[in-house]
Amino acid sequence: MAVRRNMKVTLPRLRGVLIPLIAVIVVLALFPVIGVSRIWLLYAFLFFTYLAMANMWNLLAGYSGLVSLCPAAFIGLAGYTLAIGTWFGFPWYLGIIAGGIVAAAFAVIISVPVFRLKGIYFAIGTLVLPEVLRFVFTIWAPIGEPVYGGGAGYTVKGVADVSQAQIYWLALAIGAASIFLMRYVLRSKLGSGLAAIRDNDSTAASCGINVFNLKLYSFVIAAFITGIAGAIFYLYQGYIEPVSAFSVRWLVIIMLATVIGGEGTEEGPVVGTIIVVFLYFTLARYAEISLIIQGSILIGIMLLAPQGIMGSLRKTRAYRSLLKLATRR
Amino acid sequence: MTVLVELSTPVVMGILLGGLYAVIALGLSLVFGVVKEINIAHGDLVILGSYFGYVAMTVLGIDPILSLIIGMPLLFGIGFAIQKYLLNRAFKISMDATLIIAFGLSLILQNAYQLIWTPMARGLTTPYALESFSAGPIHVPLVYLLDFVAAILVMLFIQQFLKRTYLGRAIRAAAQDRKTAHLMGINTDRVYAYTFAISMALAAVAGVFLGLTFSFTPISGMSFLIIALGVVVLGGLGSIVGTFVGGIAFGLAQTLGGYFFGVAAQMLVAYIMVLVVLAVIPRGIFGR
Repeated sequence: MAVRRNMKVTLPRLRGVLIPLIAVIVVLALFPVIGVSRIWLLYAFLFFTYLAMANMWNLLAGYSGLVSLCPAAFIGLAGYTLAIGTWFGFPWYLGIIAGGIVAAAFAVIISVPVFRLKGIYFAIGTLVLPEVLRFVFTIWAPIGEPVYGGGAGYTVKGVADVSQAQIYWLALAIGAASIFLMRYVLRSKLGSGLAAIRDNDSTAASCGINVFNLKLYSFVIAAFITGIAGAIFYLYQGYIEPVSAFSVRWLVIIMLATVIGGEGTEEGPVVGTIIVVFLYFTLARYAEISLIIQGSILIGIMLLAPQGIMGSLRKTRAYRSLLKLATRR
Repeated sequence: MTVLVELSTPVVMGILLGGLYAVIALGLSLVFGVVKEINIAHGDLVILGSYFGYVAMTVLGIDPILSLIIGMPLLFGIGFAIQKYLLNRAFKISMDATLIIAFGLSLILQNAYQLIWTPMARGLTTPYALESFSAGPIHVPLVYLLDFVAAILVMLFIQQFLKRTYLGRAIRAAAQDRKTAHLMGINTDRVYAYTFAISMALAAVAGVFLGLTFSFTPISGMSFLIIALGVVVLGGLGSIVGTFVGGIAFGLAQTLGGYFFGVAAQMLVAYIMVLVVLAVIPRGIFGR
């Protein structure tokens, strides 16, 4: 219980924020109806999917002390589940859910070897996973040989039936769901236990926290949501192949979003993802040096403001007094 | 008998290739063992060594192995600067910070290679790169043998260096206990910088032999990093003998996997072996 009391100090209830949040989501949901231009819908779509992934990475790295380098594994697996499912005649909405489930199941299986590893060892163990899956899906072609499958990848069949607006709403749903899930998880017993594990896992274990199970829960939740977001992304893209599906590019996006915004802060990924989507489109013009810019941002943020934008803001007096105002209401 | 004869070539090739993997992983293992940081940019820095050999060969007309006389000090200097100005500072922030900064460095390097050398695959094609030798039923490319010889020389050199020189002892002291080493008058920050610098000099060697053996592109660094991580995990982080044994185990898994399951699956077999080892003995074969 001591842990729980402690958490309440660091996690203000923020009741006042809930209503504006819902209002923003409703307005965003109206975007396709009120004729917002397609390019802005695309920005928003990418924001929602990346946000869900970044939130889940934050749950692992920022709150559970699990620096996982394998979001691409969940994204790629879910994308493949969706694509291959449509080839076997399953409707796309089942494919998205199945994608999340497959990613979560993969997380359960893989937790056996990687959870034996702590800290930096865990990071290494997870870095290998997308690479392994990339090889698997380059070799394995369950259907559509010899033209499709393997290195050639799959198209998602029946995408034509899905309207742009539907895909947009799906992305909005998963983005919003990830925010509410974070709010819920962090204020639950699970969140308190995770924070205890992150800060000192042997003390947590001696306080009666089941370290393995709690880590597993957060890992599986993260895998499921990341997988669903990935499947939605591939529903939009309509095509999947192993090199880009299990690419380290996913990790770059997700890590940038969380690190810029502030690892271990609830609002961090939101701020970070806005910046990442903005960067994504502005850097398209400077494609040849875009990685240099992104790498420099990562290094710069880490050296100058390791807690990210929100982490640094939290330290300022103005933010604290604003927070007091918001919570007192 | 015929099976044994057929198997002899992949076994020999696996062992020889393991030498190359051990050299690639050695720098990573050293930095992990001493500084306790995983240098995610290690693969890209190895590729920097390959590109250095490429420039030396094509522009200056020097044999890539000979060019190491310039390449090793050059990368040594770069490594010293990286640790001193970037990672030593990150190290004081948090463990994640070093990881993320090294990741940022890796992205910058990949992009820089693309700008300078184009995304085209390069290789160090020397006259001897295409030769091969035979002993009975075994046919092996000559460069594989060079890799292995280089690996043994480098390993022996590093082991003796850590054992006999003052700096080597200081490095070992800092690896065992940072605070006590500091109290004994060792400038641990500088020792870390030297360690990283040595790791980069090793990356120069690894890069040249990698270039002789395989072709490389600006983004190859990531795959070789993952191979190196696999080797280090197999052998146990921070152990030189372990790295050597891990390299051979990885090389054997790759060539034998290729022999039994086809070339397309060879890396997969090696990675799955790494995951299985992680699940069974997480600290690796020689881990402490």
